[in-house]
Amino acid sequence: MEKQTYSRRFFLSTSSMAAAAVALIPGNVKAFYKNVKKRFIPAKSVNTLSLTINQKQYTVQADTRTTLLDLLREQLQLTGSKKGCDHGQCGACTVHVNGERVLSCLTLAALVQNQPITTIEGLAEGDQLHPMQQAFIECDGFQCGYCTPGQIMSAVACVKEGHTHSVEEIKEFMSGNLCRCGAYNGIVESIQKVAAR
Amino acid sequence: MRFFENQPAVTNAPEGRVEGVAKVTGSGKYAAEYHAGNMCYAVMAGSTIASGTIKSIHTTDARQVAGVLDIITHTRKPLVPGMADAAKIKESRFGLPVFHTDNIYFKGQPIALVIAETLEDATYAASLISAEYTTTEAKVDFDKAHAAVPLNAAGKERGSADAWRDAPYQSEAEYTIEHEVHNPMEMHATIAHWEGPDKLKLYDKNQGVNNVQRTFARLWNIPADNIEVFSEFVGGGFGSGLRVWPHCLAAIMAAKQVNRPVKLVLTRPQMFLLTGYRPKSWQKVRMGADAGGRFTGLLHQARHSTSVYESFNDGITRISRMVYNISNVKTEQATVPLNMSTPTWMRGPGDCSGAFAVECTVDELSYQLKQDPVALRLKNLAITHDPESGKPWSTHYLNECIEKGAALINWQQRKPLPGQDKEGDWAIGYGMATGMWNAGRGNASAGITMQRDGAITVKTAMTDIGTGTGTGIQNIAHEQTGIAKNKIKIELGNSHLPPAPSQGGSTGLSTISGAVAATCNALKQKLAGYAAAQDDTYKNAQAADIVLSDTGISWQTAGNHFIAYTSLFEKNNLTTVEVEASSGPGAERQQYAFCSSAAHFCRVKVHTKTGKVKIDKMVTVADGGSIVNEKAAANQISGAVVGGIGMALMEEQATDQRYGSLIGNDLAGYHFAVNADAPVIEVAFINKPDKNINPSGAKGLGEVGIIGCAAAIVNAIYHATGKRLRSLPVTPDKILLG
Repeated sequence: MEKQTYSRRFFLSTSSMAAAAVALIPGNVKAFYKNVKKRFIPAKSVNTLSLTINQKQYTVQADTRTTLLDLLREQLQLTGSKKGCDHGQCGACTVHVNGERVLSCLTLAALVQNQPITTIEGLAEGDQLHPMQQAFIECDGFQCGYCTPGQIMSAVACVKEGHTHSVEEIKEFMSGNLCRCGAYNGIVESIQKVAAR
Repeated sequence: MRFFENQPAVTNAPEGRVEGVAKVTGSGKYAAEYHAGNMCYAVMAGSTIASGTIKSIHTTDARQVAGVLDIITHTRKPLVPGMADAAKIKESRFGLPVFHTDNIYFKGQPIALVIAETLEDATYAASLISAEYTTTEAKVDFDKAHAAVPLNAAGKERGSADAWRDAPYQSEAEYTIEHEVHNPMEMHATIAHWEGPDKLKLYDKNQGVNNVQRTFARLWNIPADNIEVFSEFVGGGFGSGLRVWPHCLAAIMAAKQVNRPVKLVLTRPQMFLLTGYRPKSWQKVRMGADAGGRFTGLLHQARHSTSVYESFNDGITRISRMVYNISNVKTEQATVPLNMSTPTWMRGPGDCSGAFAVECTVDELSYQLKQDPVALRLKNLAITHDPESGKPWSTHYLNECIEKGAALINWQQRKPLPGQDKEGDWAIGYGMATGMWNAGRGNASAGITMQRDGAITVKTAMTDIGTGTGTGIQNIAHEQTGIAKNKIKIELGNSHLPPAPSQGGSTGLSTISGAVAATCNALKQKLAGYAAAQDDTYKNAQAADIVLSDTGISWQTAGNHFIAYTSLFEKNNLTTVEVEASSGPGAERQQYAFCSSAAHFCRVKVHTKTGKVKIDKMVTVADGGSIVNEKAAANQISGAVVGGIGMALMEEQATDQRYGSLIGNDLAGYHFAVNADAPVIEVAFINKPDKNINPSGAKGLGEVGIIGCAAAIVNAIYHATGKRLRSLPVTPDKILLG
């Protein structure tokens, strides 16, 4: 796939367009917006992508606009990673890329080709739950379960990063994963339990 | 695929919720996660004005986008029989008649629906929709509008205002609460699939599948049995799934239009706009007490926002009529129509808002009277009888909740006067408040299928929105039948299962526990009937005579006249045994009043230079009758308290007063409590059964955890700082300027 970057000339032309439009506000706002949209958003382009997810190779045809999250959920039916905001604000879509926590809704699928990706579906080893998954069940670290895969992926990373010295530290480093049910008691307890092992 | 069968086989799962493995492995399917062959995607485009009419909609650009299949607008749509004309639309009581009107009632109201091959195509095309409007003046400023709306009596006045006009101790103040939004983590979504011209399958996020089924049977004029609604895993509700919202109808229309399965997932900003919210409110409370601290009178007035196309009444003053013994009570309410979408029930609806004002007022009186807020409440609680109906409470232990909570937080450490306790720049304060909720119960059915090996599956249409209903059903079935928990499977959240009401208003477990108990009895009766063919002892047996185990049936005591299920099935030539039974409230409702309650205690630290509030400790003690599952129940309460922290300190949906836009309508702009905003919440229960309400003795816990919670926090802030703050949320600026 050809790497696409915006040229200096493109930047100058759109920014001068912006300056011109600002001068003419409000009459030309709509036209300006449409022009910008036309220039900024390339036509649909579908490419072949090669991804390594949960140690399995996938070759897929994907829209350049497709996020890793949408690819997982809509094309591969790996629906364990959740969409809670699509803006990187809630953490429900957290997966591991190269062993680090990443928001899959803010990651274009095309940008993580051939890098090891782990989703919640890949956390258990065969028929053995990961200790963090066990702890979440034991400590009732969820209610509705929708933020849970993201919480668990973050929790595993939080332990690995070593941010588990106190309740306060755990809470701080888990605050990128929102839980509207408010199951924070159990989430913290689960992480303490695994960190203590 | 069934709720608790779609788990991968794991061998090291600890004991927990029945659906625990499905949730921690990501295998549980939520509404948007099903896949139907040939499925396409729909995305809604909204109006750019808040009030007026549509002159024209421009869809040409959107149509040219590759992958677009069709675009629905009010001028191009499939026929919905129940909305065929204006009269039918009105009769349908559907709320917003989406794509059936050219009227614009609020900004962002769906005006077009793009159906395309992929989500990306549909999203891009929807961004190209534009429209021309005739704009009329929009009314979105609640603060400006409410004073002009006359108040109406809400309930019968008790006593008279004259009787306490000269009460020696009085507190009078106005309180406001900003517009709050449910925001369950799972965004509302519908997959609509017409399997035949009059046969519809829906995967939908809601709190009541039968409600969705009935709604669309009516609108599409087809038998309810032709509509199957799946909502097996529901990613939170908090009230937002109690109504059937426009997007659900939109998805069904789209599926009809293109004759393919259609998936429609709301975006997070659309969640703020199209699935309800807790209305913005104004309250005025005046309360009086005699010199001894007995409450003598209460005037509670409330107004809250609603939409211009529907009236929604939250019932804010209801709580004033149930908690304390007060001879003179007057409550008045009104709703204020605005160019906003319609609000709806949000966790602890009405009472949550009302309790904030009333419990802060009680706190103010306690300082005036120089009486401890704990003692003052204990003195005035209506602990034996419901002041509204006059009936005795079936069980009511709010006094015990208060006493236990005070002990758990070390209330005696609290200094009586505000502003006395400091740690450097931090001011320390203690506060408390109470919450109550009418404990309801509905009619529900449940079924059991038994296999030859004694394994049973308990089935009901009721949803489990994260409350632990499925686990509770398993616990109750285990208790009633004696069959081991690992031999009890649960099926729920499907409209083809035995019908049940929506899960809401803390009635879920109270309602379904009766049906499960009745069905367990029906199973015993049916098995006894088969047993009678082999052993005369079982003739004319009552359910109470029957003892079941994992392997067989016995008479009165385990092992007595034992017959193995295998033998029973073989002799009677059975493959399965099926029973179904219903249960609902009865005469006990005439005799008693029912309530759940909670006492909230809070220790806060307020930074005197920045106004930052840290909740240092939070204790909630609840009376919800018998606790069926301790872990899930404690989780319910602590989760509700986290919601209460949000309500008290951060949750507010701002609105642009000129154009009617929501401001910051995503999870970065709208703050609710994150992990670090909440301490580890301490929860305790009274755990005494209410034997009259239902066979399980459980009264319901979903609401009381949040009702009164914000007041406890705000009262603690007063105790820390001496600043009485009456507008939620109490953000740092209000503390510094207060």
